[in-house]
Amino acid sequence: MEPLSSGAIAITIIQLFWPTWLSLVIVFAVSIYFKDVLGLYGKLFNSWVGMIGLGLVLFWVFTALWADYIATFDPIEQISGMKNKKPGTPARGVEDAWYLLGGDNLARDVFSRMVYGSQEVLKIAPAATLFAFMVGITLGLPAGYYTGRLDTFLSFLANLVLAFPVILLFYLLVTKEIVQTGIPMYLAAVLFLFPIIFLLTLFKTKFIANQRTLVITWALTLVLGLWAYSGLAFNADPLGVWTMDPNLLNIFVSVVFVNSPTVFRIVRGLTLDIKTRDYVAAAQTRGEGAWYIMLWEILPNARGPLIVDFCLRIGYTTILLGTLGFFGLGVSPESPDWGSTINDGRKLLSIYPHPALPPAFALMSLVLGLNLLADGLREQSLKD
Amino acid sequence: MARWEYDGPILEIDKLSISFFTQRGEIPAVMDFSCVVEPGEAMGLVGESGCGKSTVALGVMMDLGVNGRIVGGSIKFKGRDLSTMTNEELRDIRGSEIAMIYQEPMASLNPAMKIGKQLMEVPMIHDGTSQEEAYKLALDVVESVRLPDPARILNSYPHQLSGGQQQRIVIAMALMSKPSLLILDEPTTALDVTVEAGIVDLVKELGEKYGTSMLFISHNLGLVLETCDRLCVMYSGEAVETGSIEDVFNKMRHPYTQGLFRSIPLPGADKNARPLISIPGNFPLPHERPPGCNFGPRCNYFEAGRCDAQDILMDVIEGDDRHASRCLKFQEVDWGAEVEAAEQTEATEPGEVVLNIQGMKKYYEVSASSMFGGGETRTVKANEEVNIEAREAETVALVGESGCGKSTLARVLLGLETKTDGTAEMKGREIGDIETTERDNNTLRSIQMVFQNPFDTLNPSQKVGTQIIRVLEKFGIGGSESERHKRMLELLDLVKLPREFSERMPRQLSGGQKQRIGIARAFAGEPDVVVADEPVSALDVSVQAAVTELLMDIQRKARTTMLFISHDLSIVRYLSDKVVVMYLGHIVEQGDTESVFSPPYHPYTEALLSAVPIADTSVTKKHVVLEGDIPSAINPPPGCPFQTRCAWKDRVPGDLCEREVPKMREMRSGNAIKCHLGDNILAEMEPVIVVSDGKAEVPAAKPAAKKAPAKAAKPAAKSSDGPAMPKAATLMDAGEDVSDSTKANQEEEKAPAAPRGKSTATKATAAKEPAAKAAASPDTSAEDKNRPPQMDKPSDPDNLKLISGVGPKLEGVLNGLGIYKFEQISKWKKAEREWVDGYLKFKGRIDRDDWVKQAKALAKGGAEEYEKVFGKKPR
Repeated sequence: MEPLSSGAIAITIIQLFWPTWLSLVIVFAVSIYFKDVLGLYGKLFNSWVGMIGLGLVLFWVFTALWADYIATFDPIEQISGMKNKKPGTPARGVEDAWYLLGGDNLARDVFSRMVYGSQEVLKIAPAATLFAFMVGITLGLPAGYYTGRLDTFLSFLANLVLAFPVILLFYLLVTKEIVQTGIPMYLAAVLFLFPIIFLLTLFKTKFIANQRTLVITWALTLVLGLWAYSGLAFNADPLGVWTMDPNLLNIFVSVVFVNSPTVFRIVRGLTLDIKTRDYVAAAQTRGEGAWYIMLWEILPNARGPLIVDFCLRIGYTTILLGTLGFFGLGVSPESPDWGSTINDGRKLLSIYPHPALPPAFALMSLVLGLNLLADGLREQSLKD
Repeated sequence: MARWEYDGPILEIDKLSISFFTQRGEIPAVMDFSCVVEPGEAMGLVGESGCGKSTVALGVMMDLGVNGRIVGGSIKFKGRDLSTMTNEELRDIRGSEIAMIYQEPMASLNPAMKIGKQLMEVPMIHDGTSQEEAYKLALDVVESVRLPDPARILNSYPHQLSGGQQQRIVIAMALMSKPSLLILDEPTTALDVTVEAGIVDLVKELGEKYGTSMLFISHNLGLVLETCDRLCVMYSGEAVETGSIEDVFNKMRHPYTQGLFRSIPLPGADKNARPLISIPGNFPLPHERPPGCNFGPRCNYFEAGRCDAQDILMDVIEGDDRHASRCLKFQEVDWGAEVEAAEQTEATEPGEVVLNIQGMKKYYEVSASSMFGGGETRTVKANEEVNIEAREAETVALVGESGCGKSTLARVLLGLETKTDGTAEMKGREIGDIETTERDNNTLRSIQMVFQNPFDTLNPSQKVGTQIIRVLEKFGIGGSESERHKRMLELLDLVKLPREFSERMPRQLSGGQKQRIGIARAFAGEPDVVVADEPVSALDVSVQAAVTELLMDIQRKARTTMLFISHDLSIVRYLSDKVVVMYLGHIVEQGDTESVFSPPYHPYTEALLSAVPIADTSVTKKHVVLEGDIPSAINPPPGCPFQTRCAWKDRVPGDLCEREVPKMREMRSGNAIKCHLGDNILAEMEPVIVVSDGKAEVPAAKPAAKKAPAKAAKPAAKSSDGPAMPKAATLMDAGEDVSDSTKANQEEEKAPAAPRGKSTATKATAAKEPAAKAAASPDTSAEDKNRPPQMDKPSDPDNLKLISGVGPKLEGVLNGLGIYKFEQISKWKKAEREWVDGYLKFKGRIDRDDWVKQAKALAKGGAEEYEKVFGKKPR
């Protein structure tokens, strides 16, 4: 078979992404049709910036989802003779198949690795950010609401974490010796408790006059939460559904650990501002508990800045994960994640630029999309 | 330089239309707006928020932003069309020929630049003056806005000055280049009333001194009355009525103007006998304006098929001075008709004592550093010795300026803070110590609050209905969810909102509607005490009346005790039974509304009363302007808290005021005053607010007889002051139909006041001389040489108002000068005309309007002769 020309490569790649395109078209069509009843998300479709951002983000989300249908090869499959081959080279010994973006120095398909890499990134970044938010919110709300000694103490802790060099912290947390002491696991044990506590207080305060709903929501939260908790933090899920690779757990915990102090500070600042509002005073004068006020009077009204920060933070986390992968921290050597792939390609960059560039562009476009999405959300939420 | 000479009007706006172009398309903000500002004239622009008054100002500055565009008409400044000017020319004019003063002083000053540098920039940029000259000019101007120690002020940063001082600096900056036109956009809205009074005084004085024309934008009719010569009332993007102050205030010819006046609490309004009449409905949004007359849907005189058939144009009202109205029916409507009395109600009898606060104190500890404890702690004494008793169904008003401790008191009662000392009992139970989290449900339920800011009072992310149901849940009202839902709908009925509103989010509601929900929430648990913290001060005038009435209506029916916190004395007088005046944490005066609003006053109450602008031309106020600002509560002055600003301090022997806090003293009139002034000096006090028409001023009239003898001693001592005036003539409206008894009553009351001359006679004169007390200056006699001959009040005074240019207010002033007959005016020579012109600060209006010729005609043959000479009927 003949090698493909650049035009043919582009066309083939675009064709391969058909499940992503189809999903994008459906989501956009439905969203635009119903945009008036979709609140802030619907308003996003009034701004070009927001739409482009959302499009880029959704592109990678759907790519991760349909990776099995898009990718042409297995991400770790090596085909002899394909080492460092140029983009468009036909795969040796396979009918009708090309290494569309060339082969890397271990003769794996760069294109397929990029597609599967999106899975790795999107598996960790949003979840880690969500956990960081749970921790930051659960600690930031009381710090801002009660102030005083509690606030002084928590802020001091946050500053302590923030003052420590992040990369060094990561190196420490994933070092074998440290892992053996069990510190990351204990950290996980503490950090993963926060979402459960958060949800329990949320329901407790809301359904004060409705015992039945309260019992149901509590039972659900406790069963599901503790089940997942046992699996994720201690790898001791009796059913084996919830499990996390120890390496991945390290990374996850580290990312949550360094992100939550920043979230804490944002939430604390917003709380300090919002607690002076009259509706908070009104809630106090009708005898609402402190946690009800924090979770139902203050938090919902801080959502604007928090949603924007959430999007930006997924972007930072993605870059952070890329950096970690680049340093070879915490991910298995064969992992197709973008950071490791860039690092692998780096060594021969001057001779073969093609293995490093696609994951770099992928990373860039995803983070750009997240930033644009955040901009769009900010712009639209301010208009309200 | 951009200055050029032009004889005509300073500003001519002709059929101006301004639109904003947004995603939703074109939104007209101003339509068909015309006005003319003559040199030296102050024009007031009045209207509610969103009516387009600020857009007009920005249009004059040619600063409409990217979305705004002038879509029709023209703005001519000194004869030149501003829209044809280039950007360079405009930049040259702004700040030098046209200056603007904004609402928020801190936002108009650069916080990173010293005051001196900011002021000096103006002449250095516009005139290229040298640094030294500019500095000298800055010193001069700062001195002329009456700031102490100009050199120090010039060397300080904006944040080191108080709000009032900052606004004075902004005014100084506007005056640095001696502009021809000064635009003031709500310049005093962010300031306290006593500070506002000082600024208003300053603006008027400077306008006269420099002859600057002014465009004064305000929502406050009283303020416009005090500052302007003419006004223009705007509604929903259109000017609806324009004319001289006297014409519009006394002979309004547009239903909206009429509605506005009926909905503000003027002296004489009473919550039971003469309740306010609110304008029904809501202000239309710009894209929801009705066809035809914008005011149509809310108008009592609306006629379908006529008022909504065509665009309505401004129509001139014959006989008045450039008076015009945008109403098709202004000639048909009987404007003098008595107001259809709103439902009158019986005064409620107060019951048991519900709230009893004795010797309550609230101190805050402020420490220098919260992080590590250390540092010295300072004490803020927010409340000092507060004694208040409130009975069932009674309304007690707490009055004072920001920082006086009235909100702290409310917070203690509601359990948001705890008291430091004393007792605060509700129905015999101590509540001052218990925080909200420790209060039992019953206590929580029985004291509730209505908050000030409608945009802050509801949680923006919950449905209105959900929020009310939550209150019911908390207080354990209704056994099941459906019962609570039903009760919530009933509460919506109670505050006169449609039931569909329960499904709405707060942002879909207008300010007044949100405040109604706030009231529904406060009354949901049938409380014994409701604390209302300035519940209407953030609302538009036409909505204020409706919300106030609603609040009182519910209170009356539920026999709730209400603690009404406000800085607005007009509304306090209107609705409260008892008044408590606070200053720097102290109660300085308290008593029944009547007794507090009539002398003897505490000196602070006197100043406060004088500072409140009243939108009524028949009201004359004594002029008291306080020097300086409210001292900080962290560092209060020793002795009497008010001694630093008190105008009566020199009447107390020794330095008693500086050493000792005075004791609360019961007065014979029923109020209690915290002041060192002796009884005889307090007895000298005159009423601050005097209404001069037939409607007897309720609170002032009663105690008059009691006080008259005490005051009678004074005229002898002071009769040499000022121009001698005939008895009681100052304020009487000779033309008014006044019953004899009321007249006599008023004369008796005012007789001693008259000889004080300039200080009380008219506001126009009082403004000229801030130190009005020392009115007897040597040059008065020289001035008086040209004074027209005067006469005692004849039995049949002429109706001077027939002269075009003389309104009831001016007539009062003329009467005060001993002028009652047309003959007198017809004999004025040039010197006399000039004297009166100067006295009235008319800048030649007497000659322009040719009073003498008019008076001659009227004296000769009355109205018929007038018609023969001028070809039209006198007014």
